[in-house]
Amino acid sequence: MLQQVKNKNLNDSIGEEKLELLLEEASLNGSRRRERYPDSRFFGYFCSYWPEEIVLAAGYEPLRLFPAPIQAVPASLPAYCCSLARGCLSRAEKGDYADLAGTGFAHTCDTMQCLGGIWQAVAGHVDNTLQCVPPVLLEAPGARRYYLTELQNLLSKIGRLTGREPGKIDLIRALDLCRQIRRQAAELDKMRPYLPSPLVPALLRAGQVMPGTEFSAALERVIPVLKERMAEPGDRCRVLVTGAVLENDSLFKMVEDLGGRVVADDMCTGYRHYYDQLSQPDTPDPLEAIVQRAANMPPCPCRSRGHDYRINYLEQLALEKNAAGAVLVIRKYCEPHAWDAVPAAEQLRKSGIRTMVLELEGADVGGQERTRLQAFLESI
Amino acid sequence: MAEQRRYRPLASTRQLEKTMTRYYALTRYHRLWGRPLRRPLAWVTSGAPVELLLAFNIHPVYPENYGAICGTRKVSAKLCKVAEAAGYSQDLCSYARSHIGSIMRPDLAPMGGLPRPDLLVACNNICGTVLKWYEALARIFNVPLLVLDTPYLPGEVTGHAVGYVHEQLKEMAADLEKITGRRFDARGLEKRLLLSKETISLWREIREFCRAEPSPLNAPDLFIHMAPIVVLRGTKQSLKYYRQLRDEVKHRVDQGLGAVENEKIRLVWDNIAIWYRLFAFFKDFSQRGACFVTDTYSGGWAVELSPGDPLESLASTYTEIFLNRSLEFRARQMIDLIKDFNAHGFVMHSNRSCKPYSLVQEVIRRQVMRETGVPGLMVEADMADSRVFANEPVKNRVQAFIETLEA
Ligand code: SF4
Ligand code: SF4
Repeated sequence: MLQQVKNKNLNDSIGEEKLELLLEEASLNGSRRRERYPDSRFFGYFCSYWPEEIVLAAGYEPLRLFPAPIQAVPASLPAYCCSLARGCLSRAEKGDYADLAGTGFAHTCDTMQCLGGIWQAVAGHVDNTLQCVPPVLLEAPGARRYYLTELQNLLSKIGRLTGREPGKIDLIRALDLCRQIRRQAAELDKMRPYLPSPLVPALLRAGQVMPGTEFSAALERVIPVLKERMAEPGDRCRVLVTGAVLENDSLFKMVEDLGGRVVADDMCTGYRHYYDQLSQPDTPDPLEAIVQRAANMPPCPCRSRGHDYRINYLEQLALEKNAAGAVLVIRKYCEPHAWDAVPAAEQLRKSGIRTMVLELEGADVGGQERTRLQAFLESI
Repeated sequence: MAEQRRYRPLASTRQLEKTMTRYYALTRYHRLWGRPLRRPLAWVTSGAPVELLLAFNIHPVYPENYGAICGTRKVSAKLCKVAEAAGYSQDLCSYARSHIGSIMRPDLAPMGGLPRPDLLVACNNICGTVLKWYEALARIFNVPLLVLDTPYLPGEVTGHAVGYVHEQLKEMAADLEKITGRRFDARGLEKRLLLSKETISLWREIREFCRAEPSPLNAPDLFIHMAPIVVLRGTKQSLKYYRQLRDEVKHRVDQGLGAVENEKIRLVWDNIAIWYRLFAFFKDFSQRGACFVTDTYSGGWAVELSPGDPLESLASTYTEIFLNRSLEFRARQMIDLIKDFNAHGFVMHSNRSCKPYSLVQEVIRRQVMRETGVPGLMVEADMADSRVFANEPVKNRVQAFIETLEA
């Protein structure tokens, strides 16, 4: 009995330690990767459609690139471009990514399409900038076959960086790790309503800026600790948040401070990044599995599964999670999300969910946003 | 003080006006008679494979061309405001905003807005915007939306990309059979392609004439006279029109007549025109003897059709459109234009509305200057929304640029 209690205390304290570690990783956003993981070689990417499995299979660690907290203005991009592209490019120009094995661009919006070319041309990454163009229409005839070839080509390209093209075994191992992480992320997502709003997004972000195996091992310890901390949200106002990239948790923290609780998340850097149809049978071909997952993910505004799919998905998600309000986050100059905000707001409002469109320069929220959010939450 | 120079008008402009007026009159007619005659009216993007639609007797209408009309008539800002009030961000493409504004407030719109569509066809070879824009239209009108996904080409054109587009075109043909109740007519499509091909070669020929010194045409001519090749591509009317224009331009070259009197400086233009200042903007140049002898924008419609069977040809032609290609490709294109047209400099319109066109321009500008040794000027504006145009600073930069060229 005593031994059991001791073990539990020990597990708890390891869990606490790992929780600290993950939160620290989330706040560092990969900036101290070299000293913390000297044995890992990282490979940068921007978008959740970037096939991380291929990076892992090549022996690299995927690292999601986030803009620096203080924005520099790179000369190569005009001011009317989103701060994600500008902020990351200025980091690249400064040499912040010189240690990366490469950078991957999955084609999404017009801005990323342009950034891929600029990256190659000015950031000194001529040979190790890899581009992959998933289909926009995920269910169009020929889309899967096309994407499969695109992935095969990517495999060869990454093979040229490492000197050896990853084989099927490497891919299966990578896929297994990703699936395990995605299962854990799904578990975290379920716990979201019972935990403080900024916690789950921070943990999910940590998984995008540190080695996968370490992340998964840490989560294994952290999840039981969190389970113990779960508490009913009480009369906190339940909110859905959707948008592209948030490089910190300041919005989630503000929602929590103002008496709200983020119960549903459709951020690119949040749960959408990990979404997997967990029931899907194991496909024998790992590349086929990547194609299938991409087709089944809730689409971002740059992809389409029929023109109302995403809007219906958001509505369903809000209803399922019993959200009373929705915050549609738009990064300034981000066109795809700005477009979708119009029909999404309309449809969510129609189904009785109060909705606000919040335009942000970056991820930070300030006094102005606080006033708006407060009024919004009070109105629910 | 620079002496006043005259700008030589084209006689074909009258024919152009007639052709376009007739096209828009026909468009209105189609709204009324299209259904009973089984000739639906489709709103299509400028890079859509229109020959396929024409083979189904569909009448295509181009909201982008309409956006340019709104810009030229200086009503875009007003229409954009209407769309913005409905929630569309000011950072979205101004063609899209003014078009959506024209649907909401036809009373403010040129020609009372475009006639309602029976069908929407979007191809994302020019940008990601069109997908979102047409999704919005599909919600407003509740009519079928057909999308053709032409994967962006970061390098050379690939077989699997073209194969994918080809597959979709086959499905599009099957969808159009259902929508129109007509059978897909491969011969009809071939005929349309042939018409397009001939029109394209005329447009190419006209553009090639501008290698002459002095150049017979200036950029505003190109921008205005490109309208038929956009909206009447694949028709006899456009063929007829460009024959006439070709003859006039050839005559100018034979006679040594330049568009700009005393042409001294030859320039290349990059990006969509600044429609609301089309003549005012270029006047500052022409008055100093500077002529824009070619451009990348209206050149987008001068690309020859790819070989192969009709659907294959459509698949590669429409995938290879320049806005669907890499920065490197676009830089090469600019360098070639400067060399081929013997240009002394180039001007890039950094167009807030059009991100795929504009975000890469600064890198291209530097590369082109490095490789050709000619200077390039960047001017920030918007193609249709005049609210973002800052006249004085632009004027000053233009002046300084011309002075460098003159020196
Ligand atoms: S924030 Fe928007 S515009 Fe910027 S890269 Fe992401 S999707 Fe593109
Ligand atoms: S974003 Fe550019 S290419 Fe797309 S519709 Fe607007 S102007 Fe045309």
